[in-house]
Amino acid sequence: MVPVLTQLLHAALSSATPIALAAFGGMFSFHANVFNIAMEGMMLMGAYYAVYGAYRFGHWAYGVLFALLSGLVLAMIFSLFAIVLKVDEFITGIGINMLALGWTTYSLRATFKVKGAFISQAIPPVPKLRLFLIEKIPFLGEVLSLHPFPVFVAMILTFVFHLILYRTAFGLRLRAAGEEPVAVASVGLSVRLLKFWSAVLCGILSSFAGVYLSLGYVTLFSENMSNGRGWISLAIIILVRGKPVPIMLMSIVFGILENLGLLLQRYAVPPQFTAMLPYIATLFVLYSYARRSSST
Amino acid sequence: MNTVRSVLQTAVAISLAFLVAALFILLQRSSPFEVYMALYEYGLGSWFSFTNTLNASFPLILTGLSASIAFSSGVVNLGQHGQFLWGALVAAVAGVYLKMPGWFGTAFLAVLGGLVGAGWAALAAFFKRKYRMDEFISTLMLNFLAEYMTLYLATYPFLDPKAYVPSTRMIRREYFLASFFDVNLAFFVAVFMVFLSWWFLWKTWRGYEARMMGYNKLFATVGGCDVETDTSLILILTGFLSGLGGALLILGGTQHRFMKGIGANFGWDGVMIAIMAQNSVVQTLFYALFIGFLKNGAVGMEFETSVPSEFVMFLQAIIVLTLVGARSGFASLSDWLRARSELRRLMK
Repeated sequence: MVPVLTQLLHAALSSATPIALAAFGGMFSFHANVFNIAMEGMMLMGAYYAVYGAYRFGHWAYGVLFALLSGLVLAMIFSLFAIVLKVDEFITGIGINMLALGWTTYSLRATFKVKGAFISQAIPPVPKLRLFLIEKIPFLGEVLSLHPFPVFVAMILTFVFHLILYRTAFGLRLRAAGEEPVAVASVGLSVRLLKFWSAVLCGILSSFAGVYLSLGYVTLFSENMSNGRGWISLAIIILVRGKPVPIMLMSIVFGILENLGLLLQRYAVPPQFTAMLPYIATLFVLYSYARRSSST
Repeated sequence: MNTVRSVLQTAVAISLAFLVAALFILLQRSSPFEVYMALYEYGLGSWFSFTNTLNASFPLILTGLSASIAFSSGVVNLGQHGQFLWGALVAAVAGVYLKMPGWFGTAFLAVLGGLVGAGWAALAAFFKRKYRMDEFISTLMLNFLAEYMTLYLATYPFLDPKAYVPSTRMIRREYFLASFFDVNLAFFVAVFMVFLSWWFLWKTWRGYEARMMGYNKLFATVGGCDVETDTSLILILTGFLSGLGGALLILGGTQHRFMKGIGANFGWDGVMIAIMAQNSVVQTLFYALFIGFLKNGAVGMEFETSVPSEFVMFLQAIIVLTLVGARSGFASLSDWLRARSELRRLMK
């Protein structure tokens, strides 16, 4: 029983990472009161360019670099439309998601001459880290050690972002820009600039989530491989009202569910049903959220 | 005057989008001129291409209509994909196993598909009404559930063992929709639904309430609309349209069976069409035809040039973004100019 549990938790942390990273990105938009729903597309774009960079230049670090740049470019496009041209944020987000889906599908075909998925031995995955000392602790060590490094980045960022949001001037200003934009403007700060920074952070973090999807979780790129994770992150952000630590915890809950599904597959439950678990969980989460907010 | 301006704006925006796309084609070392010629040849160039475009656009008209009506009523139905899939699957399965006289069977299957789509949307309506769950996320999540559930049904219980990909058996031949001068009846049904929707929105009191809800929910409530009932109704109605689209794709498309990936991108395309059409049902028809033209022309583009057909997905996104960006840009520019002239007047 215990090996199953450690395996489950180990895998859950792994599946939680892309959801948490994208949710951290969306969290900044949430606090700046920007309705940014482009995490799905930014993640997909990041996943594609991670594979592209890593494959072309033979090192995972190039993958990370390319992915982050692609996220930055999408953030710029988002800002151009939503902040400069004042297009509806929801419409911009849908446009960006479509752009990412279209561009990666097309690029996959045009660059790698394949349809559906690009798999190659020549794609270097991101390295897995062993943790000294912690590794030796019986249960905890097995759960925590031997993950690709973005998993640890996500865990550390949870606390860093908590501090940034609630203990720094930037966090205070960002939250103020969301809640009382007039007050922020009256002390001479630019609300649009703060919104722009939130979009940039969202792009970088979501595309980093994409890196983990295509170079950490598995080592390949397939069409639409983000598969709704961006939307699940959005649901989490709304549910926990953009608080970093609860975002991480909720992501782990989703990670557990995703892997519970894989576990059930061993007992001959069809894969189509086990794959549904995260989405059903999201519906359930929405249900309990509606319950809670109606009672208060 | 206003119509002229908006048509002009649209024309400018679409030209701009094609220019941006041309740059990307140049980067791929292909000639944009050749690509666009091929797109035109295969999308509109001959009677054959033209009717093919019409036949390619009927699912888009219906999902676009579904999104337009929902958005214009302030209801965020993003569940077109799932509703479409369910409509398609049930029509496909019933079309194999039910025995009915030909024309009645076809009509029955189409309506059945629509009702199933409506039922799937009704789930979201139920969640919203009973538990106050936001339809924005719930319809999205239901898409994923529909995707996996229909795939399961086509992979195990209703699998055609002779097929290469998970798919159901072909429906009975007598249910196939006929064509008039190569235009499939499904297209006429879709156009008829556009008129019906227009009539509903502009000539009935429920439609009036729906539009008021879209303008201002609070105003509608104060004015005596039963906003909750109207929201559920719109969700179910728009679900019916998407489901009908799915059923018609089985009856009037080329496959006549449900197969993995048959829903393609019709759901999101519908949402994009609604955005381009600014949620007007009449404009939806035109934009759906436009997207249908691009999709159909894409096949030719792949034949004639080295640009793969997937490029059209990207082109579509570029067009949407350029269109909404240009529209919004024009609007804020004219606001700014008006404010400036007002300021000048006051300064004098």
